Amino acid sequence: MDKEEILKRMGKAIVEGNKDEAEALANEAIKQRLDLNEVIDKGYVPGIEKVGDLWEKGEYFLPELMTSAECMKGAMRVLQPELEKAQISAKSKGKVVIGTVEGDIHDIGKNLVASMLAANGFQVIDLGADVKLEKFVEKAEAEKADFICLSALLTTTMLGQKKVIEILKEKNLAGRYKVLVGGAPVNQKWADDIGANGYGENAMVAVKITKKLIGE
Amino acid sequence: MSGPVEKIENFRVEFDEKRILRLIGYKKRSTEIKEPIKSLITEEKKKLDYLLHPASIYTIVGYDETNKHLVFKDAKKVAICICTIGLELEREVKELMEKNEMTRALILDALGSEAAEEVAIQSDRILAEKAREMNLWPSKRFSPGYGKWDIKEQRFIFRMLPAADIGVRLTESCMMVPRKSVSFRINFYKEQKLSTRRHSPKVS
Repeated sequence: MDKEEILKRMGKAIVEGNKDEAEALANEAIKQRLDLNEVIDKGYVPGIEKVGDLWEKGEYFLPELMTSAECMKGAMRVLQPELEKAQISAKSKGKVVIGTVEGDIHDIGKNLVASMLAANGFQVIDLGADVKLEKFVEKAEAEKADFICLSALLTTTMLGQKKVIEILKEKNLAGRYKVLVGGAPVNQKWADDIGANGYGENAMVAVKITKKLIGE
Repeated sequence: MSGPVEKIENFRVEFDEKRILRLIGYKKRSTEIKEPIKSLITEEKKKLDYLLHPASIYTIVGYDETNKHLVFKDAKKVAICICTIGLELEREVKELMEKNEMTRALILDALGSEAAEEVAIQSDRILAEKAREMNLWPSKRFSPGYGKWDIKEQRFIFRMLPAADIGVRLTESCMMVPRKSVSFRINFYKEQKLSTRRHSPKVS
């Protein structure tokens, strides 16, 4: 199989949600000593972008998006050790610290957003659920992150999103990070009221907003 | 705690396919579910035989035994209920997520939500029937966090019922664990009201 064929099939595997094929092609690329960043950029990324287009057109829904994100993650897991061996860092669109705020143990929505961001080229640091509010700021500082994504599924815990923004202001860090909020009780008005930079209604919208904020 | 407490465990949970598809994100009713998603749904459904442990617990008390919150106004009696499908399904969802099986996790989580709702529907029917047996008019069921009943009123519900008997607890932020749990009240009135159901009370 030549390089062009491999790249073409990589994109197809992502669009079709074929995890085995996506991983097998990653191994083939390593075997053929292809430029792995080119493999990601010209093989897998066009696939995940097509998935986004199909979602926009209403042809793909959340399960298809997730299956494609799983494929992307699977392929990256194969490629990552090789990239590290060659001391090449995979291109990242930005670093995201994400978690569900303190007092809230819901995590499936947050995990969907994390997966979609990772599949779309962001480096995701997932703090999990029930995360102490100060920890979001500490981790963002330590990791020199670009984004802080805060999930909350309850009216009682969504106040935690506001508090994180207040902590950033107290520490004179307002503006250093773009803060995105999401979760069932959250809406654009809430995001505007608390001074968040964006509101992700669902995983794909979160990706779109994050990309927009980096000028894509 | 006051009033006798009853427990129900013999639920038969059936699924509304269309609702599950909506829960996992299919907006269009006409969408044809393709592979590999179709197979994933079938496979996750099969797990429910051993992952679901449905149970509910309830009590029916007089108005004076409640905390006299305004939502109980004019009620002769109040039924308080907690339903759950247990913790095992959530554990499986967590494991799937850790294994990068997000689509399966999403599907199983939706199936769990639908199962918890079904247990609540069946418990609600039983309680509405109890109201009729008492010659009273049952209201619809209401959960804390909706309308004038703040989410913090979960604490009242958990004071009224030994929720631990069905494996449910309340966190400080008023979340139920397992998450696939539902709590609600039904007011029983002497007379028909706008909020009561259409059925007439049983004539003794």
